[in-house]
Amino acid sequence: MEADVAVIDKKPVALQALTAAALLLPGLNSGPALAAEDDEFSFQYGHYQESDRNLGSGNSSQDILNPVTTNIKSNLPPITVDSLQAHSKLRLTDRIKFEVNFIQDSWSGATPISTAPSSWGGNNFTRLGETISGASPYFATGKPVYFDANRKPVNTIRDPNTLDVIAAEGINSPVHTMAMASPETRQEGNFKLSYEWDDAALSARGGISSEPDFQSRFTGLGLKLDFNQKRTTLDIGASYSNAYTRALIASDIINGQYGKTSNFDNHKVTEDIVGSSNQRTYFTGSREEWGGNVNLTQVVTAQSLFNTGVGFTHSAGYLENPYKYVTTFGLIPVVGSTCDPSEIMYCSAAVTWSEQRPDNRNQVNLSAGWVQHIPLVDAALHLDYNFFHDDWDINAHTFSGDWVQPLGSGWSVTPRIRYYSQSAADFYTPYLVFDNPNQLDSYQFLPSNFSSDQRLSAYGALSGGLTISKQLAKGIRLDAGIEYYTHQGSLAMGVDGEDSFADFSYYLANGSLNVNIAQLGRSLTEGGEHAHHHHAAQHGAPLPAGVMFGHMLHEADAVMVGYRYMYSREHGHLQNGSQEVSDQTVIAQGCNDSNVTCRTAPMYMDMHMHMLDLMYAPTDWLNLMLMPQFMNMDMDSRGLAGIDASEHADHLHDVHSTGGIADTGIYAMFKAFQGYGQNLHVTLGVSAPTGDTAIEMSRVHGADGGYTHYGMQLGSGTWDFKPSLTYSGKLDDWGWGAQVSGTKRMQSQNDSGYALGDNLQTTAWGSYSMLDWLTASVRGIYTTQNSIRGRFNPLAGNIEHGQPTVSPDVNPKQSTADQPGNYGGQFWDLGLGLNATIPDGKFAGHQFSVEWLQPMMENVNGYQLERYGTLNATWIYMF
Amino acid sequence: MKLLFTLFLLTSICCGCAEVKPWERGILAKPHMAPDPHPLQSELRGHTYSSREAGGAGATGSGGGCGCY
Repeated sequence: MEADVAVIDKKPVALQALTAAALLLPGLNSGPALAAEDDEFSFQYGHYQESDRNLGSGNSSQDILNPVTTNIKSNLPPITVDSLQAHSKLRLTDRIKFEVNFIQDSWSGATPISTAPSSWGGNNFTRLGETISGASPYFATGKPVYFDANRKPVNTIRDPNTLDVIAAEGINSPVHTMAMASPETRQEGNFKLSYEWDDAALSARGGISSEPDFQSRFTGLGLKLDFNQKRTTLDIGASYSNAYTRALIASDIINGQYGKTSNFDNHKVTEDIVGSSNQRTYFTGSREEWGGNVNLTQVVTAQSLFNTGVGFTHSAGYLENPYKYVTTFGLIPVVGSTCDPSEIMYCSAAVTWSEQRPDNRNQVNLSAGWVQHIPLVDAALHLDYNFFHDDWDINAHTFSGDWVQPLGSGWSVTPRIRYYSQSAADFYTPYLVFDNPNQLDSYQFLPSNFSSDQRLSAYGALSGGLTISKQLAKGIRLDAGIEYYTHQGSLAMGVDGEDSFADFSYYLANGSLNVNIAQLGRSLTEGGEHAHHHHAAQHGAPLPAGVMFGHMLHEADAVMVGYRYMYSREHGHLQNGSQEVSDQTVIAQGCNDSNVTCRTAPMYMDMHMHMLDLMYAPTDWLNLMLMPQFMNMDMDSRGLAGIDASEHADHLHDVHSTGGIADTGIYAMFKAFQGYGQNLHVTLGVSAPTGDTAIEMSRVHGADGGYTHYGMQLGSGTWDFKPSLTYSGKLDDWGWGAQVSGTKRMQSQNDSGYALGDNLQTTAWGSYSMLDWLTASVRGIYTTQNSIRGRFNPLAGNIEHGQPTVSPDVNPKQSTADQPGNYGGQFWDLGLGLNATIPDGKFAGHQFSVEWLQPMMENVNGYQLERYGTLNATWIYMF
Repeated sequence: MKLLFTLFLLTSICCGCAEVKPWERGILAKPHMAPDPHPLQSELRGHTYSSREAGGAGATGSGGGCGCY
């Protein structure tokens, strides 16, 4: 919108901007800031939600004589993903540009792990009160599947007296076997550094992506060349990445009872579980990827652009999805049956094998696109096509069209449509059928490659979406988008798509905030205001990074944007009050809340929290603040000494993880006093319970895990009142301040049956400016927090694999982390911090702060893991 | 490769017929004429496509993650 605004409001500026922009053309890889290549900061949140998976029409009854044929949807929660991305693009000098991204995805939910005819019963019902099929990785059902003479699975009718199969009844359609994926978080950091000449640019980029089961590092070089007075741009790129998979194999499968790991012994590693005689086994493997691409962009007319490109990628190594299995049937001729052999010829035995893919993959992409301006309505039409081919025999076509329509007043709307179609990989199969059940005993009878991952099947996908943008004053843009996507075998183009069992849909919603820093500066200059707006923060000394609600904007209409990151870790010994305690004491007393002996305790717990800090001053005495938060946590436990804890019953099968949206803060800050270099303000606000407090541990061996630990839930689940009083002062190079803040839970319990304890925090700090841009701070913090009130509501579930053996309460109770009384306490911390405030230049006023909080003393409620420390890092900018 | 060559040939022909001077490129400089007007959103959608589809994710060699679910 930048150019539009300029055209309307400031003609000379507009001319300048357009000329500058034109001279940059067609430097077409830099996104929306093409008009002025401005410095910017963006933040985006995305939410992905899949539909319930179709489990086909099948017998939902356990009674084989009275089958109940129903269309069944999986009742497990489908995959959801919460994504956030922070992006910054800065021009460091006239010729050097730097971009940096932080991306985090947290997901959980049920996903297909295999496919089998529905009568095999891969999705068994497991939970009390849920009469239709739920699911568990249920690879050994014991239910026979019958096949006809053409080796097609058939449904059967039985004689009520003899239970013999007497006739076939239609095709036994395959369905996915669904399983819950453990909650997981991926974090990625990447950068791009470019050096630009007048007609060329060279860029280098790199990054790391990390999730518990997959690490990848990537790097790339790019060269951009402009020809023909910049009418033609050629982009040449090369990239390399290497990745390492380390995926836990569900213990069900390792035991060999429910599945087998194919020819992968060289890809398996085993490690001991602390305090248990059990082990964890992982698939491990590495892969490398080399890529090259050439893209050409051409200004065709004053209103149109054309681009085309070719890309090649070679992948080598472990290319399997470690969580996908193929159900394999061995046929057993039916002897002495009274039924028609052409209808029912075989019974079968079955085994599931982990999938196998080729160790190499070569992929080619060809693309072409056209951007056309539509003068009548000042819209832009974007049309793109991509053809993909690989040596797994997949051909894919992607067509997409966007209509970007500016509406005036800074609004624009973009409807979008996309169609995708692919053929199947040559080793894709929903399941395998062997002639002889003996062939199930060894992987040597398997084909060299096989997979039933639906992503390798033939299908088409149609999606449509809408994006709305609003350019606010001061270079701030808000975008909101939604897309609906449907994957269907019948939508495949030119090939027979997979049956409808694999169909699913999803929607993806996203919202983003884009702050154009350079444009902010320009608007201030144009308005004739002084640059001291940039220095609004300098009304007071910089605050330590961990102090929240410490800043107040003192000018009406001022805005502050901030980003806070907090990492805290618990690690070390277990303690009661302020004393270190032995495992024996913990076993005897640590789980008294549940009247049981303790069996496990946390070894460590990591918590990462990202907060967006948005503040606006309607008047000089009132500030309004919105603070969305995102959190992810990991925790691993051990068996207490003297207890041989079970990886299964004691939930030691994997590191426990959670992540996603946490609670959202809404605050109002009131100025109480300002003068003589001193400020006093009151903050009143609430924390809205947007974080999930009903996260369960994943099922293992078909047994439900119950709610995961209180400290691993993402929010409080209650509306919380959060008042605070902040005083700060400044004299010359010295600064000081103090704050009292509290949290009062306004409900006695949340939907899960408990409420976190109220807390009160007192802190005081002093700071000294060592340089005009660098300040050091020392801070003392005292926190007191009550223990948890109430406890998790009983959660009914299955406690044994393979049997509908239900317990009215499957919540874990034998870990110290599962006792409401083992939360809260009194804590004394020392904070050491640094703050850098950029004094001049175009980034004047940006503040970066870090602070380490070192625990000094604690008196914990009950039995808890020692705290290791907390790191706070913030960026804020006021304007 | 034949297709690639054809594409380049077509583009070269295109270049020959276009004489758009720098000062005639005001419309092309508009934000909605940028090849990707919503790059952050495209990145998110692209990441989702690449974790759900086998092809067409591009040859950019980015980190991307596993999509192992």
